[in-house]
Amino acid sequence: MKENLNVKKDYPIADKRPELILTPTGKRIDEITMDQVLAGNVKIDDCRISDQTLEYQAQIAESAGNRQMAANLRRAAELTGFSDERVLEIYGALRPFRSTKEELLGIAEELEANGAVQNAAFVRQAAEVYEKRKKLKGDK
Amino acid sequence: MKRSKRFEILEKRPVNLDGFSEEWAEVGLIAMESEYDPEPGIKLENGLVVEMDGKHREEFDSIDLFIADYGINLAYAETAMKIDTLEIARMLVDVNVSREDILKITTAITPAKITKVMNHLNVVEIMMAQMKMRARRRPSNQAHITNLEDNPALMAADAAEAALRGFSEIETTTAVSRYAPFNALALLVGGLCGKKRILSQCSLEEAMELKMGLKGLTSYAETVSVYGTEAVMTDGDDTPWSKGFLSAVYASRGIKLRFTSGTGAELLMGNTEKKSMLYLEARCLFLTKGCGVQGTQNGSVSCIGIPGAVPGGFRVIAAENLMASMLNLEVASGNDQTFTHSDMRRMSKLFMQFLPGTDFITSGFSAMPNFDDMFAGSNTDCDDYDDWYILQRDMRVDGGILPITEEAAIRIRNKAATALQAVFQHFDLPEITDAEVEAATYAYSSYDMPKRNMVEDLKSAERFLMRYTGFDVAKALWEKGFHDVSENILDMLKQRITGDYLHTAAIFNEEFELESALNDPNLYEGPETGYRISEERWSKMIQKENILGPKDF
Repeated sequence: MKENLNVKKDYPIADKRPELILTPTGKRIDEITMDQVLAGNVKIDDCRISDQTLEYQAQIAESAGNRQMAANLRRAAELTGFSDERVLEIYGALRPFRSTKEELLGIAEELEANGAVQNAAFVRQAAEVYEKRKKLKGDK
Repeated sequence: MKRSKRFEILEKRPVNLDGFSEEWAEVGLIAMESEYDPEPGIKLENGLVVEMDGKHREEFDSIDLFIADYGINLAYAETAMKIDTLEIARMLVDVNVSREDILKITTAITPAKITKVMNHLNVVEIMMAQMKMRARRRPSNQAHITNLEDNPALMAADAAEAALRGFSEIETTTAVSRYAPFNALALLVGGLCGKKRILSQCSLEEAMELKMGLKGLTSYAETVSVYGTEAVMTDGDDTPWSKGFLSAVYASRGIKLRFTSGTGAELLMGNTEKKSMLYLEARCLFLTKGCGVQGTQNGSVSCIGIPGAVPGGFRVIAAENLMASMLNLEVASGNDQTFTHSDMRRMSKLFMQFLPGTDFITSGFSAMPNFDDMFAGSNTDCDDYDDWYILQRDMRVDGGILPITEEAAIRIRNKAATALQAVFQHFDLPEITDAEVEAATYAYSSYDMPKRNMVEDLKSAERFLMRYTGFDVAKALWEKGFHDVSENILDMLKQRITGDYLHTAAIFNEEFELESALNDPNLYEGPETGYRISEERWSKMIQKENILGPKDF
């Protein structure tokens, strides 16, 4: 059972609970130094946030009474595994008049298949709303 | 008619060069209190909003629906909606009612209801409430860093000086959009030349702005716009869901984000649905809240000409800043565009945020002369620094920046331009000459800079963005001997691993420490509470070279 962080005792996590923060590549914050960068042991991919850290931050937001931010941080946690290119494409596909309903539902399936359940639900709702409010490809 | 000499003189005063307009509620040219704004109301069935502000769920447009499903704390909504708007307005100015108690109510009401709460308040009450409702304890400030020529050395020098003056965030945009990677780079390097963590961003089209963040060239994003009517939101090329997804994308890369909205935008873009500016802004803010973004840049921002022209314009702008705080959003409160010929109006507008303090009093103070400000000029520019400092001193108010000496400015500007010169050299980008470094160190504006070869710059800016990241910049600076700047850049990149600065109103103070609404909240409850300027900071605030002491008498 992972612990549940609280804003009063655990935030900022980097100061209060540094041991909890690991990069997606498994490194601790204090291992990211210029010495290690120059030695080639730290790469750009080591400077990313992990899904677990985002979950901890969601718990912090929740304990601070900000449930909307917690939800956003949890959607963000799901997106850490997607490439920069792919998230940019999905953002583009969600802009008005870019996608058919089927295309949006396809994206939702892809998200779900890769563990991004909340994002999938979010995109499915978008598909419904876009259909009703005429924001799909060809509606312009 | 024989003319009165007094009236003839008055006619020529700067204020009479400004444009003013009557209210015209039918087209939405009205600040607040419009008869066309809906009556507040909410009806829930099985935890779902089936009616809101006079519309049934079937009639909801995409913004209504998003607000109803995400923006309001429904668990408390039915109770909060029953509280009289006048009672909520009075709680806002009552020092015996805590910010937290008010947030419980104001995050559980509807856009029409919060608009009606504002209608009860006069400007002094709005300021009083703003002082109490601001999210972070300490107010701060943000600077614009741009120039007409997109000159990178000058931009780096200006960024470094802004950091030295104490701005917590610096923001750039471009004169020529393909310069963006260099502008972001100049702020990254220049901004981090001193002993301070500073957040930087580059305002661009949404997808391009995101790309700068993903590449580690910027550390926050701000110009992510939302609008209060569906038609304008669509014209802005987004939907609540695309913006919501974008919010998650930024957070997934550990990058701070705030949205942007403001009164007058819908009118300027031609669709208000006959609603008042304030009501439409309330919708923007609930939408922002629903996306789970930590904050907003509002306060009319670049549309200030519109509310600025109608009766109650400054009041509505102060009210929209306050509404953001009432939704527990960080607010970067405008004061970032020229809108008047009158210095009296210019400063009076500013005081409504300067005196109570907001999370960012301006969301961009032009760190250059206004003609170099590519955000179309700001309400205050570098010529106003000393007025600003003296006003802080006159009123014992913290406007977020501190006086500096000329020597220190020259030193840091030179370091920034030299560091960027080294980075350009390392990546084989078009040379920044020694003459440019010298000019940037001592410049007033871009007119003092040697011309660069723009074609060459644009070609290599694109190449730079394709190949390199902020991480490579840190390495380059190390190899060129700028170890401290290199460490600072890596340190900023590390911030996105922890996610601590994703939270509401997060900035870094002069001691490299994080200050946000979570670890350093504004707990104002009347005199001797909330933010008080420390004696140490006060002693820095009152230093100026031309101040007389006992020795002078």
